[in-house]
Amino acid sequence: MSFFHRHRGLTPYLLLGPGIAWLAVFFVVPLGFLAYQSLQSGNFDIGYAFTWSWGNYWHAIRDYHAQFVRSLEYAGLATVLALVISYPVAYWIAFRGGRWKNLLLLFIVAPFFVTYLIRTLAWETILSDNGFVVNTLQSLHVLGSSGRLLATSTAVVTGITYNFLPFMALPLYVSLEQIDGSLIEAAEDLYASKLHAFLRVTLPLSLPGVVAGTLLTFIPAAGDFINAQLLGSPENHMIGNVIQSKFLELTDYPAAASMSFILMAGILVAVAIYARIVGTEQLTGTAT
Amino acid sequence: MTDQLTRRELLKRGAAGSALLTVPGLLAACGGKAKSSSAKSAHKLAKTLHFSNWTLYMDTNKKKHTFPSLVEFQKKYGVHVDYVEEINDNASFFGKIQGQLSRGQSVHRDIVVLTDNDRYLSLMIKKGYVEKLDKSAIPNMKNLVDVQKHPNFDQNRDYSLPWQSGMTGIAYNDTLTGPVLSVDDLLTNPKLKGKVTCLNSMGDALTLVMLSNGDDPSKVTDKSFNAAFNRVKKAVDSKQIRQFTGNDYAPILARGDLMAAMSWSGDIAQLGNKHIHWNVPKDGGALWTDNMLIPKGGNVYTASFYMNYVYDPKVQGLMEAGDPKKNITGIYYIPPVAGAGEWAKKSDPSVASNPLIFPTKKMLDSVHLFDNNALNNQKYLTQWQNLISA
Amino acid sequence: MSSIAVPTAREPNFLATVLAVVRRHVLTVYSFLFFAYLLLPIAVVMIFSFNNPTGKFNYTWQGFTWDNWRYWDGVPGIRSAIFLSLEIAVVASVIATALGTMIALALVRYGFRGRATTNILIFLPLSTPEIVLGASLLTLFLNLSFVTFGFWTILIAHIMFCISFAVVTVKARLVGFDRHLEEAAMDLGANEWTTFRKVTLPLTAPAILAALLLCFAISIDDFVVTYFNSGSEVTFPLFVWGAARIGAPAQVNVIGTAIFVVALAAMLVNVVFQRRREVRA
Repeated sequence: MSFFHRHRGLTPYLLLGPGIAWLAVFFVVPLGFLAYQSLQSGNFDIGYAFTWSWGNYWHAIRDYHAQFVRSLEYAGLATVLALVISYPVAYWIAFRGGRWKNLLLLFIVAPFFVTYLIRTLAWETILSDNGFVVNTLQSLHVLGSSGRLLATSTAVVTGITYNFLPFMALPLYVSLEQIDGSLIEAAEDLYASKLHAFLRVTLPLSLPGVVAGTLLTFIPAAGDFINAQLLGSPENHMIGNVIQSKFLELTDYPAAASMSFILMAGILVAVAIYARIVGTEQLTGTAT
Repeated sequence: MTDQLTRRELLKRGAAGSALLTVPGLLAACGGKAKSSSAKSAHKLAKTLHFSNWTLYMDTNKKKHTFPSLVEFQKKYGVHVDYVEEINDNASFFGKIQGQLSRGQSVHRDIVVLTDNDRYLSLMIKKGYVEKLDKSAIPNMKNLVDVQKHPNFDQNRDYSLPWQSGMTGIAYNDTLTGPVLSVDDLLTNPKLKGKVTCLNSMGDALTLVMLSNGDDPSKVTDKSFNAAFNRVKKAVDSKQIRQFTGNDYAPILARGDLMAAMSWSGDIAQLGNKHIHWNVPKDGGALWTDNMLIPKGGNVYTASFYMNYVYDPKVQGLMEAGDPKKNITGIYYIPPVAGAGEWAKKSDPSVASNPLIFPTKKMLDSVHLFDNNALNNQKYLTQWQNLISA
Repeated sequence: MSSIAVPTAREPNFLATVLAVVRRHVLTVYSFLFFAYLLLPIAVVMIFSFNNPTGKFNYTWQGFTWDNWRYWDGVPGIRSAIFLSLEIAVVASVIATALGTMIALALVRYGFRGRATTNILIFLPLSTPEIVLGASLLTLFLNLSFVTFGFWTILIAHIMFCISFAVVTVKARLVGFDRHLEEAAMDLGANEWTTFRKVTLPLTAPAILAALLLCFAISIDDFVVTYFNSGSEVTFPLFVWGAARIGAPAQVNVIGTAIFVVALAAMLVNVVFQRRREVRA
């Protein structure tokens, strides 16, 4: 291994080489192909040709703006729900978990171990028109007697929230766990109430976790189509459903490709706005 | 599956060496040409027949979880049938295999099944994605029922042979609603609001609606298309239609979440739920046929040989009817083989007298085929697709 | 509630104690409800794996049976789907973890030009929706006429999206560890390779193992990217997707339950081991 001694400067590149090459060839290059495809015109029967067909983008927005907006809406809603639902639990495990911490964390990731599709199908069973959830809600008059959950936006958002919950809870836990307990005690002495102490100290210190969790939930949720497919009706279809069917069923590749880019752009804009609000250092993790 | 073997070997090698890690090596390993030699192979049966079918489309021994007719085939001829029920709708299955077929690669299947009321069956034949049948190996083709002998997508049955036919009509659950016997009822009855589904296949859905409009589904015009399309759209906008489905309406219907559904005859026969009834709508229903094809690179002789086997009226009759005494359920669709009914009667008389499986002449007169040109009309297709994925 | 508590916050009086206790329990009760919600669908999956459906559909409870477990592969295609998924997950997680560990080492240990670009390249796949990953890879393969869809395309895709996860996992561990140990080894005359083998590797082993497990879990569960690039091959999630259209058979629940139980057991063993080590240390 004297080679490494003589060429110490080379070592990092040798280490990086294979993995980076893999990502370059199978991640970056494909995005280039996708861009190329998105500007083609023609149809499946006669074939597609590259014609700088920017119209694909315009058509996608004209015909499917509802699905784009819906995707960002559902994903945003699910992200906020996941944050609100899992923050207290992450807090509880981090500060009250004691010796059970690891076991409790295990329960948080447990849903991961049941195939994504199978757990979504389980929600289909749980939320079915004659299931106990609907029956209970009906007897509480939250739902009308002919009301239902399946094939509604409620079911889709419920499914997305559930499926991406661990992505939110884990980063929250990690950042809360790193907070020094004495710091919080000091804050509780300093500020008038626990609530103040929480808002002034704990919450800001856990912000990296909030940011990471939000992104890890929002991004995959915005591109999801499984929940909308299994739990929703056509009115709840997201842009993922359209991309999927254009690509794999209608074999309309240029339309599907342009929609993929619009989706990415939409997510980038949403993330950029979010970054403006929370600060960019939090986003890239350079603060820590 | 020689391809699988080489793949395994490569895996072993890959685990040992790092050749796998080099990108060009891997790309090269991706390459693979269809085994065109197998297509021309002599009259010798392969060890395994790879058969991709739609779900719930074979006689099944519920106790042993086996397929009696396939077990019998292996026992008799020594060919193991690798039978997979992986097709749920024509579009996505076509999407799945077309990438390989379009570049002349084998999809490692010897028989696939596609429906004649969607554009993909004729597209497969038109694009040359299928092998010619070896008719010398299918003497039983003479048993094909007359109406199926000269379809417009394959005039002489050179490439395709029917697997089963079925009808599209309306099913309803009598514990939740009174009889739903017309498209009109299905699309506008306020009592059914949000409790009905429509089929996502344009050919199925629009045939029913056009008949109800008094139009001829076998000769679609812009006017009749728009009339039918707008009627469905209206039902979607008024939230009458809850979802568009393929096969997947069956569990929702059986679970009691739906009152009525546009549905396929055989599914309802298979459900075996006495509260769920199926009927041809008052103004007529749709008829369709699923066809066996041999995709490019498939083993023509073995596939043809198997087709001959299922075209034996005795075999077909048993497949259709199953055997309740032995816990065997049948296919319960409409067999394309003349004489199958006699044999079906012997093993399960109730099947032979079931009009969903052996339809009466009156029933057959009331079902119609959808216009093949309309199936390939890009404008219609896009419009329909946009509606069902709103 | 804070305004009432203000004047007495420092005084450990009765009311404050009660409030504190209640508040503590509110959080605990809430947490238990949360776990119930989290585990409810899993319970449904497990229960329905013992269902004895009278028709061909598994959607309402009909009675108890062991049959689905006894005939776990009694549905055509399920067996080969499971084996394909396992095969891909094993190979993909090993390769991705190897590549990812190397990248992590380079990032943590060496200063080099192009560091920022590398970081971005690692971060990007994590922040791209799966559907875009799947679609772009499909477009690449469609444009390369010699590619056969199937095992290899699935494998390539899985390695691709696993690498970033492996890098992040291993990097987190490497950042936190003491470089002095390695320097000491070098001072004692070990060369770089020996140092790596005898010092670095054992210290990073837990992280590498974690990365391996994570990649395995992500790979075996992946649906979207696989759906786009599988050609005519069927992995277990694809099988479930297909079966769901007509009501998934109970065997799907059996396999789902089995994967869950095995994974949970592996994690439990891991937790117990960690605790033992902590106790000893």
